[in-house]
Amino acid sequence: MPRVKIPRKSTTVDMTAMCDVAFLLLTFFMLATKFKPEDVVKVAPPSSVSSDDVPDKNALQVLFDKEGKVFFTYSNGDELSGFVDVVSQQQNLGLNDVEKKRLIKILNGGGGIGVPFGELKQVLDLDADSYKAFKQPGIPAADSANNQLRTWIACLLASNGGKQPDNVLVKGDNGAKYPAFKEVLRAFTDNKVFHFKLVTAMADAPPGSALWDERHKK
Amino acid sequence: MAEMEVKGGGGKKGPGVKKSKKLSTRVDLTPMVDLGFLLITFFMFTTTLSSPTAMKLIMPDETAKPEEQNEAAKSGAFTIILGKGDQCYYYEGDDPKTMQVTNVKGIRDKIIDKKSRTPADKLVVIIKPDVDATYADAVALLDEMTINDVKKYAMVAVRPDEYTLVQATEAANGIK
Repeated sequence: MPRVKIPRKSTTVDMTAMCDVAFLLLTFFMLATKFKPEDVVKVAPPSSVSSDDVPDKNALQVLFDKEGKVFFTYSNGDELSGFVDVVSQQQNLGLNDVEKKRLIKILNGGGGIGVPFGELKQVLDLDADSYKAFKQPGIPAADSANNQLRTWIACLLASNGGKQPDNVLVKGDNGAKYPAFKEVLRAFTDNKVFHFKLVTAMADAPPGSALWDERHKK
Repeated sequence: MAEMEVKGGGGKKGPGVKKSKKLSTRVDLTPMVDLGFLLITFFMFTTTLSSPTAMKLIMPDETAKPEEQNEAAKSGAFTIILGKGDQCYYYEGDDPKTMQVTNVKGIRDKIIDKKSRTPADKLVVIIKPDVDATYADAVALLDEMTINDVKKYAMVAVRPDEYTLVQATEAANGIK
């Protein structure tokens, strides 16, 4: 009787194709990733249909979270020492050079700072780890008599010689109350800054609306 | 992944002929693929594909030219007051007593309706978020202006008489 010969097959799989795909995906995600400085507080902005990009250079950003805590960050690409000097002088903080450097670093880092002027010196003395662990109370802005955000902006304008910052970004949380937003705007309008950019998440224009027609016009 | 040595079916050599050992040219790619996928996973989780967008907002200068502030023609004015619980209170003209209720989702139809009945140069939408309104609703309303192509709009503070009216309506409707 003839026996059927079963040929022994190799169990090795050619992994080259899989490897190719894996590294293609890897390259894509590596290029698509943008590392951004993490905000001091988690803020989930509301969505809007606007499609402009958020400028990240030469921008002043004010952040407010659910509870209305306000944080301030500013970077203009070069030295902020003039601004920090004005802040220190106007508020009689008596910051030394090390503290000033730290403040510049925090402002440039984009995370945001949110402490009242009274506590600023102490907070700047904290080392990096304790600063990270420190829960910032937010800049007092809710009370229009003691709106320290207004002072920050006034100092900024003074150090710039009255020149308006190029981009004023306001990033608020979805759950924030309107009065928090109003006080932030007031801090700016009191300083004659009227142009804002609200940071929002992207959303599509609803079909059938005037904007949708405009965008889909051929 | 264990590789099985598969013996080649070469013909038998005579005795005394030394078999030269064939070295495999295959490299085990498993660790490389592992690493690749690990990195993919890492980048997938850290990527934020939807970058935030910027919405332009220009606020009026409240100190300058107070006489221009009430310029909104009665016929073309459409006031929307934002209250608690995503509710919108809207009225046409200048009489808050004619106020009606809808919510943030329903306001679009009302704006479109008003827009269709008003000459384009007369239409002014006034957004008045009160102290109970949320930031998200205010942004949603500003967004509606873009969506519905309303050329003139302003965000101003709510008047006390309007606020009492809104509070009364909220109490009557049981909105907390």
